[in-house]
Amino acid sequence: MKWFKNLWQTLNKPAKYLTLGSISLTAFIMGVIFWGGFNTAIQATNTEEFCIGCHSMESKPYQELQKTVHWSNHSGVRATCPDCHVPHSWGRKIARKMEASSDVWGWFFKTVNTDEKFESKRLEMASREWGRFDRDDSLACKNCHNYDSMKWEDMSKLAQKQMKRAAEKDQSCVDCHKGIAHILPDMGTARAPELIAEVGTGPSKFDAGQDYFTALTKPLFFSSNGDVEAGTLNVATKVKVLESKDNRVKVAINGWRKKMGAGRVIYLEFGINMLTAQLTKDAARAEGVINGFEEKEDDMTGLKWQRVETELWTDAEYLITEQQPLWDYARDTFRSSCSVCHTQPDEAHFDANTWPGMFQGMIAFVNMDQDTQALVQKYLQQHSSTFVKEKH
Amino acid sequence: MTAKQLNKDTDKQTGENKKRKELKALGFIIVVLFPVLSIFAIGGYGLIIWLIQAFGGVIPH
Repeated sequence: MKWFKNLWQTLNKPAKYLTLGSISLTAFIMGVIFWGGFNTAIQATNTEEFCIGCHSMESKPYQELQKTVHWSNHSGVRATCPDCHVPHSWGRKIARKMEASSDVWGWFFKTVNTDEKFESKRLEMASREWGRFDRDDSLACKNCHNYDSMKWEDMSKLAQKQMKRAAEKDQSCVDCHKGIAHILPDMGTARAPELIAEVGTGPSKFDAGQDYFTALTKPLFFSSNGDVEAGTLNVATKVKVLESKDNRVKVAINGWRKKMGAGRVIYLEFGINMLTAQLTKDAARAEGVINGFEEKEDDMTGLKWQRVETELWTDAEYLITEQQPLWDYARDTFRSSCSVCHTQPDEAHFDANTWPGMFQGMIAFVNMDQDTQALVQKYLQQHSSTFVKEKH
Repeated sequence: MTAKQLNKDTDKQTGENKKRKELKALGFIIVVLFPVLSIFAIGGYGLIIWLIQAFGGVIPH
């Protein structure tokens, strides 16, 4: 404290012995040294050598990049890590450097130091990177690539069509071109992290007799503690919780099944192929698992349908209280994923039994994990002309 | 030694002392304090942009 007081006393008075010239000169020189040093240091963190200084960056993304056109190509121009992953404007660059403090954290606590850990976090890391590209319409790509400089004649007819449409909207490049510089994460097996981020994992306590909706496709079990699976419960399905025990809940599932084979698939309504649950053969044949009620014949197919009810156990998670957030997420996903390549048809353009074929025919063109696929398909069926009366 | 001479000596001494103090203060400010403050200011600026973006704001390029 005394030290500080002394310092303040000295600083608070005009200098008696140091000349104004020497003070301003040293200040000026220090300013230059500081600013030069600071930017040199920032520049040093913006080199590929620095990026691949971490083993996890060198062994995975850097090796993957070497197999792509961004590493070697006929024009001999290549992209380095910071070209795409660090913004070029000064303010954003500084912000990104601050964000990188979490990378230091990850390095320190060895978050992705092994192959397995890296792969299990690949989707999360890739999603974050895609988010960054989305935020500024893939500015990182557009620092080099320019819609105005594209030579349409050299492109195939299909590429021209897609590219011109994208150019009109100044579309973000990674909307379509994901996985061009690194291996694409396995979207098929991941459990819809973005969906869950939006709708939540559901309540921790359940009210008996209350209706809930599945936020993911869930396993069904015979009992509250057994490992034997009785089937799967489809996403966005309404179930009534009957009781809770340990980490499971007993749910009542109502629907219709076709009277053929084991009749193990339960549909939402008579004559409509909207999945509610799929039981295993054992479960469907077991005494007292499925209770059958009245039967009806579908004139279109000549098949007999039977109304059924079943009570089975499922994990007490991903059961949410409202269905609307699921539909909202599905609608946004449907609109954004499908409109990337074409004008998406209205939901009510097809009926509930036509949508699955339409949807499955297109699914290969987009990255959608299985839960999201099932959800979007169900959304389309639920909002098809079968249920929505203003028809085409 | 006369009283006058003695006075001059102490003056010189306090003068040396004062000069050292001024140099120390200057050194402290331009080598330590201001660089540290600048780095904090730049870091804070970066943090603000980061937070704005994290909460969905759009920063013009």
